[in-house]
Amino acid sequence: MIPIIPGILPFGLIMGSVAVNANLSNLQTTGLNTVIFAGASQLASVDLLSQSASSIIIILTGIIINMRFVLYSAAFAPILKNTSFLTKSIAAYLLTDQSYAVSVSKDSEFSSNNERVAFFFGNSICMAIAWHGSVILGVLFGNFAPDSLSLDFAVPLSFIALTIPTLKSKAHVSVALCSLILSCALFHIPFNLGLLITGTISIALAVYMTRRKNE
Amino acid sequence: MNNSYFWITIIPLGIGTFLIRASMIYLSNKFTISDRLKEIFTFIPAAILPALVAPMVFFHPGESTFLMYKERVFALIIALVFAFKYRSILVTILCGLASLYLLKLI
Repeated sequence: MIPIIPGILPFGLIMGSVAVNANLSNLQTTGLNTVIFAGASQLASVDLLSQSASSIIIILTGIIINMRFVLYSAAFAPILKNTSFLTKSIAAYLLTDQSYAVSVSKDSEFSSNNERVAFFFGNSICMAIAWHGSVILGVLFGNFAPDSLSLDFAVPLSFIALTIPTLKSKAHVSVALCSLILSCALFHIPFNLGLLITGTISIALAVYMTRRKNE
Repeated sequence: MNNSYFWITIIPLGIGTFLIRASMIYLSNKFTISDRLKEIFTFIPAAILPALVAPMVFFHPGESTFLMYKERVFALIIALVFAFKYRSILVTILCGLASLYLLKLI
């Protein structure tokens, strides 16, 4: 558990201070953290909310960012198969990049599914506490940090830090470049529609590239 | 921030995110995910995150006249190098912010 804190802490601090800069009330920040509970999509939402983007665009963007949870959900499905609906629902809510990564890395150390479920709940509850705690620290920090610290620049920085490790092949790099170039070209399309068009075309490119490779 | 705009956006996104997380846990008996679909999912961060980064960096009204108001572009390139080398969120953010502060001094 301890090794993942350095990954969460800066993310939470930025989330908190960006929320203050976007004039979110403490209740809104807490609500955002509790209702969505997924860092990257929260940062994207706050950025778009502060540009007064349309709700539909913000929701669709967040959904695209969070589509990766389908994979984690599939990974935990066999482990949670014989648990109650309530246990399944709480486990689903607690699924994050970090809790998935930690559980997968320890998977070979468990002898039964009960142990896996117990470990998952232990590590994801720690993760949730670390997340909420670091966002509260970020809100406190954001309240007195001067604008000259340019903390808003930490948002694109954290996004590239999240993207770089996923670029595992030339095809991934091509999709990232496609996304970068298209989003610049389509920047002036109103209502942040360029973002959705870019996301759709980039994913279509990924679909095309994976088909070529499998043939 | 305007309360109704905020919650009308955040609550559906929260519900949608929960349903994505619960999808396979609830339905694993009925569906399986093909390897190809799994592979496509690995492209999602590359497809959407750069599109969020670009406007924040390339279209930011900068301060440095020397760098043609594009100091954030240069700081991002430096941070990219560190992100490739160290693969750490903390290192990338600290190096990126430090580069920005230094570039603003030019």
